[in-house]
Amino acid sequence: MAKREEYIDKEKKEKGKKLFGIFPAQYPREILWAMNVLPVEIWDPPLEVIHANAHLQPYICSVVRLGLELILQGKCEGLDGFLFPHTCDSIQNLSSIVSDYLGVKKPCYFFYHPKSPYQDSSRVYYLEQLKGLVARLEKQLGPLDSSQLKHRVQQGQEVARVLKQLYDLRVQGELEASNADFYRVVRRGEYLSPDDFLPLLEEFLAAAKGSAQGGPAVIMSGVLPNPKEILTLLDELGVRIAHDDLLNCSRRLLVPPSRADDPFEALTESYFAMPPCTTKDSSVSERVDDLLAKVEQSNAKGVIFYMVKFCEPELFDVPQLTGELRKRGVATLLIDCELNQNLSGQLATRVEAFFEMIS
Amino acid sequence: MYLIKNLQYHFMKDLGLPALMRFSQRTKKRRPKKLDTCFGPPLTSTGRLKEIMTRHYLLSRYAEGARPVAWVTSGAPVELLRAFEFYTFYPENHGALCGAQKVGSELCEVAEGKGYSQDLCSYARIDLGVCFSGRTPVGKLPKPDLLFASNNICQTVVYWYKVLAYHWKVPLILFDTPYNFKDIADSDISYMVGQLEEMIPVLEEVSGKEFNYQRFQDVIRLAKEASLTWGEVLATMKARPAPMTIFDAFGHLAPIVSLRGLPVALNYYRVLLNELNDRVKKGIGAITDERKRLMWDNIAIWYKVRDLSNRFAERGMNFVAATYTNAWAETISYLDINHPFESLAKAYSLVILNNNLNHRFELMERLVKEYGVDGLVIHSARSCKPYSVGQYDIKRLLMDRLGVPSVVIEADIADSRVFSEEQTRTRLEAFFEAMEA
Repeated sequence: MAKREEYIDKEKKEKGKKLFGIFPAQYPREILWAMNVLPVEIWDPPLEVIHANAHLQPYICSVVRLGLELILQGKCEGLDGFLFPHTCDSIQNLSSIVSDYLGVKKPCYFFYHPKSPYQDSSRVYYLEQLKGLVARLEKQLGPLDSSQLKHRVQQGQEVARVLKQLYDLRVQGELEASNADFYRVVRRGEYLSPDDFLPLLEEFLAAAKGSAQGGPAVIMSGVLPNPKEILTLLDELGVRIAHDDLLNCSRRLLVPPSRADDPFEALTESYFAMPPCTTKDSSVSERVDDLLAKVEQSNAKGVIFYMVKFCEPELFDVPQLTGELRKRGVATLLIDCELNQNLSGQLATRVEAFFEMIS
Repeated sequence: MYLIKNLQYHFMKDLGLPALMRFSQRTKKRRPKKLDTCFGPPLTSTGRLKEIMTRHYLLSRYAEGARPVAWVTSGAPVELLRAFEFYTFYPENHGALCGAQKVGSELCEVAEGKGYSQDLCSYARIDLGVCFSGRTPVGKLPKPDLLFASNNICQTVVYWYKVLAYHWKVPLILFDTPYNFKDIADSDISYMVGQLEEMIPVLEEVSGKEFNYQRFQDVIRLAKEASLTWGEVLATMKARPAPMTIFDAFGHLAPIVSLRGLPVALNYYRVLLNELNDRVKKGIGAITDERKRLMWDNIAIWYKVRDLSNRFAERGMNFVAATYTNAWAETISYLDINHPFESLAKAYSLVILNNNLNHRFELMERLVKEYGVDGLVIHSARSCKPYSVGQYDIKRLLMDRLGVPSVVIEADIADSRVFSEEQTRTRLEAFFEAMEA
């Protein structure tokens, strides 16, 4: 399959799709698919930060910094718009820097999703937010075809179903793919159209079924599996990431299916049924329960908290999560690093020591 | 038990503490104050402010068991809680107090010892440090029965209060205020009104009191009047010379944050306003030789307030406006006793930190013009990302569009360990040169 840039370019030129740059994390991608938009998520572009430092303080995380750098280096010229979900304070303000201060001549959309603890008003509001987003997009993209939306919602559910199958096999040790391969495939959903992502997942599922290597299982928690070197290192050590609690992976991709006939109702139902997440202000108890369930299902010996430096939503929960895990004899490792930096020798040593502890 | 605690609480509130404080005032050895020639005479209202805040904190010791206790974020619509007679405690205000008393860093270290990253907000770390150690300069904090947070000032308070909910095993109510990216829509207002209405049964259960609409309206009236009076207090600094400095205002802010909706806050600001108006009439300035007028952006650097105040005053520079102090005066005019829920939604969701950066720039532009501001000092606070992200662009725009010079101080609100004396001195010297040129 073509590389990310080539693929995106082809989708625009050959299929006439509009391209939207999407900042992390939770957004109704089905609506964009239905409006002939290819959402291209911006998590960790492989860039050196040069220009963004003139706009952001040193204590802002590298997800935000790299996303802004991508724009400032002119690498978003081909995009037709941006979407900023309300994920954290830094992305909230970044949306305004891009929209109000940078003179970016592209439509910028904002998507606010209600925060937990949820009430009846949260559900009503989320539904209204979906429809409000459609109304704003229609001004740029033309009317939404409701049958397309229904189709795309079903397709989204199909993607989630296959992903769940993959995760279930991984939990049971019946997927022989390496950590690096597994996340390489899962993360292609950040830019592939579901028309291409679904066959890719099915192909991968068929090819990768088989016994996993026999080393210890761990869970990875955090925002995203970057720096990627940790995946390779764990593969080399024979450690299998049996499940994850990563914001850009299981927390938003393992969407439980909805039976609602109305596509907006289905999207609403799915949002509120998603796994607990810091970006939705899920309670600490919900997160503890979710993580313990994952540990139990996968028989994991440890949990690696792979933190993006300065990420407040994640860092606040870590002491409670590690405390509860340790009480139950589950080993924990906290790694706090910048994106796209090579894993230092010191960090690699810590991972190796962790491996020895859980082996 | 409740009856005894309640009697004790009311006795201490109305008789015991006022008597104790009068006694303490009389017996206090007064050290002769060193008069600094840079400053005008001190505000006499400051004594009353100290009394009010000391009484508030002392009273907290008697609140547990006598009144339902809520820990509240500074931007939450406390008016609703007042209708249920909650004793309210403000961890952010307490964090500022710890910062000002220079014990912030050691309390942060307690939280860090429990695994909380040094990159997290220092108010939160201080508060968690207090929860884990029981240490506080005010003696003792009341255990909460309820936590009440709003994300209109930041998402951080919600992460922090989730930890508190887990620690104290008490309910957390969140007032979720959609960010104003372009405009607040009717659906946003309906969502917020819905949340406020949904809170009532929870508050009734925790407080054991029925919702009293009349009392709620009275509280809203008091909160609105106090905030409008606070706005008038700040507006006195439009006068030349300004009768107080923003560094004074950082202190006088405490009642509008912590006691909003109670008669004591309104009464206090009326006293303060009278004093300031009198100084304006007499031409008494906060500093003796006001040559330049400045604006402050962001929360105070609490452990450096006095030091910075002296440094600027020595050069005839007075801070006459701040986006921070203005926050409790800016949107409160939306409050309407006839439409309490809708008006609370508007007043609390349109605050500076829940608004887009264009709004922030326009506000600063207005303050620059109305207060005759010559320069801006921007505190880039590690703890406060919604306040700090965008400041570099604001600095550039203020210079480009209004020709207002500014300086950025990289620091923190309450954790002095991240303050670099050398870097700050160098930056300020360059700023002073630019201002004096």
